[in-house]
Amino acid sequence: MSGAAQPNAPTSKLQPSSDSSDSTKQPPATKPAAAQLDEDDEFEDFPVEDWSKEEEVGAQQQQQQGGNNTHLWEESWDDDDTSDDFSVQLKAELKKMEGGKKG
Amino acid sequence: MEALWDDFATAQNTCNGYLLATTISPEAPATDPARLYNFNRGTNAYSLQTDLRYKLQYNPSLHLEKKEAASWHEVFTAFYTFTGKLLAAEEAQTASRPREADWSTVYESWKEVLSAVYRGYSGNVFEAWTIPCLYVVGKYLRIFAIKADEQVAASQRDSGLAFGELQEEDAFGAASKNEKLEDAARQINRIFALCLGDRSPLEDSRKWALYYTANLLFKTYFRLNSIPLSKNILRSLRASASDTPELSSFPRAHQVTFKYYSGVIAFLEEDYASAEELLTFAYESCERRATRNLELILMYLIPTKMLTAHRLPTRQLLQTSPTLDRLFSPLCTAIKRADLRAFNAALEAGEDEFVKRRIYLTLERGRDILLRNLFRKVFIAGEVEDAKVDGGGVGAVAKRTRIPVREIAAALRMAGATEIDDGEGGVDTDEVECLVANAIYKNHMKGYIARDRGIVVLSKTGAFPGTGV
Repeated sequence: MSGAAQPNAPTSKLQPSSDSSDSTKQPPATKPAAAQLDEDDEFEDFPVEDWSKEEEVGAQQQQQQGGNNTHLWEESWDDDDTSDDFSVQLKAELKKMEGGKKG
Repeated sequence: MEALWDDFATAQNTCNGYLLATTISPEAPATDPARLYNFNRGTNAYSLQTDLRYKLQYNPSLHLEKKEAASWHEVFTAFYTFTGKLLAAEEAQTASRPREADWSTVYESWKEVLSAVYRGYSGNVFEAWTIPCLYVVGKYLRIFAIKADEQVAASQRDSGLAFGELQEEDAFGAASKNEKLEDAARQINRIFALCLGDRSPLEDSRKWALYYTANLLFKTYFRLNSIPLSKNILRSLRASASDTPELSSFPRAHQVTFKYYSGVIAFLEEDYASAEELLTFAYESCERRATRNLELILMYLIPTKMLTAHRLPTRQLLQTSPTLDRLFSPLCTAIKRADLRAFNAALEAGEDEFVKRRIYLTLERGRDILLRNLFRKVFIAGEVEDAKVDGGGVGAVAKRTRIPVREIAAALRMAGATEIDDGEGGVDTDEVECLVANAIYKNHMKGYIARDRGIVVLSKTGAFPGTGV
């Protein structure tokens, strides 16, 4: 049986279904048993072949964010927050050094 | 049996390719779960030909041309044999005798079905609307190939012949452990070529099966670890771009899958700009409930974005998937905080999984961003109370633009950068300068090193491009 959970959506077009039902006459599952993470960079079959723009992830974001992807990606540095542990220690360390010897 | 033929007739009369494909599917529809069993038991080797003739040629509800009927006759003959093999294998499986389930034979008999279907197209007998049949034969060829290879591997393990440190391939010489899958790849490639070479006008062309087939090949080559072969497919598609419909006219599922694989291929070739474009498209166009596929796309998009745009996934994004959260959250947090120890730990913790997905080396480059953040912290921490430094105006927060290498060394040491240790408890300033020089080279920092004075001189404006200082 497939290790990954597949959405069992009814298809409007009759097409070869890739999810397994419970019938014992059922042919092989889509993957051999133990579909571990390592074999699985394999894309799953979509339950439907086509979908409308409204059902895309992009459309969903548009609705929520008014067109911006701001809730997906962010800057790669911390806000100028100089109060976290490391910054505090760093400041102290630098002050020590500056006091000891003029650069 | 009747439901199958009813569907067949309906499909033919209404030109419904998907319905037609269900009649030769190894998976019975939910509405007719015993279909294959009934088909197989409903006739036998002696009466098969007559039965088929009645169903295909002398059937009042069907109006097939002679050649068409003959081609379908071939297909269903092969299909009959196949159902026998499949049922036998399934029976063994469910009766807890999995070792007796002969999936290799199932594979070979399905291959016969594929060949019969193939001939229907190569002889230009089947019309283009029937191409979902190509999808079915290709898709299940892969599936049976995987099962057959799996079984060979399992039986080798069982018989105790694979011992010690020997790889199975070494122990058994020529037979590859992916024998059937490699064969399947060749078969599906034939289908691909068949579709590519179709000269019919587009409304009636097999070219509409191209991307589905290409995607099957990508999946196969990836599983076989022969990813370079995927480039041949891309090349073929590009070469015939002028007489192939635009990707955007194909079903969404074909598009998204194609863009995912193209994106991953680009990623593996370190063409991160293309990878970003392709994977972003795949992500945004993906059906929003396809959580597993979204997870897969992000698995590659996250390292890509880190490299191209220096952007990290938000908590919100990572929380859409427990796997992504587990793999990437510690890493991203470490980068933002310039916590080298945490970064190294996170990289090591996820090493196996990262390597398997071939994203380890890319993620390692996150260290560059981390170091930039570290240098940036030193820069910010070194605010000077003396306001007449470096021409800062009244009220301007003056930051030193001259930073002693010693201080950078101290910061690195605090953060746990063991590479700068000189082995004797001190710091190797050459190493420190090397790290700084690299950051400048990569345009993470703007400035230069005044080596004789042991100072890093930073640009007054935009010392750390893209980070607001």
